[in-house]
Amino acid sequence: MMEDMTAASPGPRTSVSGGAAASPADLAELLRRSARGDEAAFADLYDATSRRVFGLVLRIVRDHAMSEEVTQEVYLDVWRSSARFDPARGSALSWLMTIAHRAAVDRVRSSEASRRRDDAHAAATRPVEFDETSEAATTALEAQRVRKALLTLTEAQRSAVELAYLGGYTHTEVAGLLGLPLGTAKTRIRDGLIRLRDTLGVPA
Amino acid sequence: MSPDLHHLSGAYAVDALDRAERESFEHHLSVCDACRAEVAELSDAAHSLAVLGEATPPASLRTSVLAGIAQVRPLPPLVTDSSLVSAADDPSTPVAPVVPLFRRASTWLAAAAAAAAIAVGGIAWSPWSGDAPTLSAVQQVERADDAATVTSHKGAVTATLAYSRRLDRSAITVAGMPPAPDGKTYQLWYVGSDEVARSAGFLTAGADGHGEAVLEGGIDGASAVGVTVEPTGGSQAPTTDPIMVMAVA
Ligand SMILES: [Zn+2]
Repeated sequence: MMEDMTAASPGPRTSVSGGAAASPADLAELLRRSARGDEAAFADLYDATSRRVFGLVLRIVRDHAMSEEVTQEVYLDVWRSSARFDPARGSALSWLMTIAHRAAVDRVRSSEASRRRDDAHAAATRPVEFDETSEAATTALEAQRVRKALLTLTEAQRSAVELAYLGGYTHTEVAGLLGLPLGTAKTRIRDGLIRLRDTLGVPA
Repeated sequence: MSPDLHHLSGAYAVDALDRAERESFEHHLSVCDACRAEVAELSDAAHSLAVLGEATPPASLRTSVLAGIAQVRPLPPLVTDSSLVSAADDPSTPVAPVVPLFRRASTWLAAAAAAAAIAVGGIAWSPWSGDAPTLSAVQQVERADDAATVTSHKGAVTATLAYSRRLDRSAITVAGMPPAPDGKTYQLWYVGSDEVARSAGFLTAGADGHGEAVLEGGIDGASAVGVTVEPTGGSQAPTTDPIMVMAVA
């Protein structure tokens, strides 16, 4: 996409190109200032994170217009509840992505988007593709690290984690899509995430 | 409680639990430190996947987000949150007989924030219609000299809340609303800035999808009005996620 190329090109915003390139401390500080009503700080927060948030929402919701709607709701929620971010409980980016993921998943599970559920079979038989072209230069290294970490998961764990996180499916749906006995997908998801956590926790 | 509950941490971290499981696990999280810590770690790991599929949103989205926040005041820090958690952790703390908080306050507030950004405005008072003897109770609220309205959309449903601080009343009008399922009813709530909900009566949708009601009780102290689906007869406090939330100024 044109916009992606623009975002990846060198420019005054390269350090905050929407790919969460700002440091965790920066993001937490931007949230703190947002909580005090600082709209400029919130604009910086948006610029530093919107590519990642929008990419995730789009991945789950699929529909472009609906993804924009969800992304807007997410940022309004983040703005409104910015004072409730507690750095003791996790990073600012994780807090924001949790809100985004939940919002996207809630949207696709609501009745108005149930159409997407009909595509479940198609999604299951289509391998999950990573949209490499949209990667900003600043996140390429991080992406490479994550892709490597994913290789340490078993195929079954990786499918379960990807369908749940990137596909927005419930563990019951994941079990159906992968032909697993009911109830086993949640174990698969947890085991996969633990592996991912442990691998990513080791400095590259 | 089921010992299996701990194993839901991974599925919870990626929002893969269905609604009922999510709620029971969230209850478990409020009392299980190990699961809280694990969910935080596994969420981090899961969110790292988002780096693989970044996409640039249109510039118009940035414009509307920034226009949206300009109309919404950030909430104050949630002091009661941590005190509630520590009270739950400490078995010596007696459980206070207070009205329960909304279980998913953030859902309400997110919806309210979105609604506030969509439409907040005053209704112009019309002198030629203001004192008509045929005004319904709802219309009396709508025609108050300080009346304001908030409109919220959810799927095909449109809800409009009219309220008057001077009259200390509010009224809701809905269109496109399906009838409540068998054995259920739509219940109305005033939500305070402390996120405590107080029942404000019921709402019935007709066969044409239209419904209206003047809320029971005054709007004083409320920062939002919400609608939930409750068992017939209503609940003391919301037992389900709101289907509509409207922030009031
Ligand atoms: Zn536990």
